[in-house]
Amino acid sequence: MSHVDEGTLHAYLDGELPPAERAGLEAHLEQCIACKTLLTEERALLERASALLGSTRPTERPAPPFQDVRRAQRRPWYARRTLAWAASLVLAVGLGYYLRDPGDGVRSVPSTPPTVGAAEDRLVRLDSSATAAAPEQVANQPPMARMPAGRRAQERKTDTRAEEAEQNKAARDSTAAGVVALEPRVQLRNATPAPAAATPNRDSAALRLDAAVVMSEAQSGEVAALRGRAVTTQWQIISRGAATTLLGTDPVGLPGLRTRRIRRSPAPDATVVVEQALDSATTIQIFQRPMTEYGYSDRAAREAAPSAAAAAPADRLARFVGRLRVEISGPLTTDSLNKLLEQVEPIP
Amino acid sequence: MPDDIAEVYRNTYPALVRFLYRKVWDAERAEDLAQEAFARALVHRPDNTRGWLFVVAANMARDEARKAAREKRHLTLLKSEPDSTQTAPEEEIDADTQAQRVRAALEQLTPRDREALLLWDAGMSYDEIAAQTGLARGAIGTTLARARRRLVEAYDAGREGGQHVARG
Repeated sequence: MSHVDEGTLHAYLDGELPPAERAGLEAHLEQCIACKTLLTEERALLERASALLGSTRPTERPAPPFQDVRRAQRRPWYARRTLAWAASLVLAVGLGYYLRDPGDGVRSVPSTPPTVGAAEDRLVRLDSSATAAAPEQVANQPPMARMPAGRRAQERKTDTRAEEAEQNKAARDSTAAGVVALEPRVQLRNATPAPAAATPNRDSAALRLDAAVVMSEAQSGEVAALRGRAVTTQWQIISRGAATTLLGTDPVGLPGLRTRRIRRSPAPDATVVVEQALDSATTIQIFQRPMTEYGYSDRAAREAAPSAAAAAPADRLARFVGRLRVEISGPLTTDSLNKLLEQVEPIP
Repeated sequence: MPDDIAEVYRNTYPALVRFLYRKVWDAERAEDLAQEAFARALVHRPDNTRGWLFVVAANMARDEARKAAREKRHLTLLKSEPDSTQTAPEEEIDADTQAQRVRAALEQLTPRDREALLLWDAGMSYDEIAAQTGLARGAIGTTLARARRRLVEAYDAGREGGQHVARG
């Protein structure tokens, strides 16, 4: 076999080379140092290109309910922005009118020239701040912060009740402060703890995962940093049933991979991590947390949920699966994690 | 038999938003366009919903870009001073600069190379990319190899070039 070209190597690295060609290439790579070196270079190039593209991911928000898309003949974005702008203008004009005379308020007789000037001044300021604040501010908030305050309060209440009910048991069981022992309650209701391992589907797993390039841990400082922040022993191990109760839906993971364990965050914020074995030495962590319906919340929600912001480091890859916000972490390259994240789905 | 669009929506929406974002560079607009594409899919009921969505999305993004260019020209005529009064936190500036650099680098690719790269990044297979771009399946690897190399090179060149390149 003659030397291979870059295109073939990229197809190989992308897991898109037909099986026959693939076998031939692998045989050649065994013998040819030049091509093996080239493969390493191309892999590095591919990883960098992926990382660059990955760095321009938009902040992901949960998809609005499909019914909304179905229902609406959506107005184009520029029309809606114009409306928003018009609304803020109307508000500003209204306020300007209301504030037109700070001394006497609305009861005053029609404005004299100086107060008109002052009102205009206010109007301009109000208007510019209102328009500047409207869509951009929302867009810049991390998605975790958008959970409406009402919903969060509700969740907290549920937690509190559980805490009371299980107080004695929780006090004995939990090692970390603030851990709510949900598990006993759930097991009463759901007598059989869910099997720890999903039925392995080796073929599909091998097929799907061959794009994942496992790196040795020492290779990547970035990976080390991720792991440093990762789950500690304070995250209590819970059953699959408990995870479902906590999340309000089935936990998600990579299909065909064995689930090592499921744990919950020591913070009362319903974050669950599913730990799966990629191979005997490599564990992938899939963090997940329920979100409410599509909707942006205000600053109040962000302030009400400081732990949510802390639990969502911006540099971890994230996406939404149903109503779960899912983040992935593991000793793999960004590109591989990216690919794995795309495959996450509810685990059986 | 058309696909179940609700199912495609669940699986494809984030990828479509990401794909569109790298074309219009505005997260909110990308979401709007993605939803619009799905709304149109409901009317048209294409056989291959996923592929159809990406074609429609690419067309809409192109129209948007043209319209944005026109509006920008108008605004330049109307506006006397630049809107540089807003201040942003440190990390937002960094993220912006990074996105600007990647954007500038992406724009140096040929349209076909860029399209192949963005489609691959949106989770399409070589077969799907071939169907979408009209390239032969056997040429996708080469196209992606070239696209990746140019992206990395253009990005590095932009970074060495310093500040004045940052605006794409």
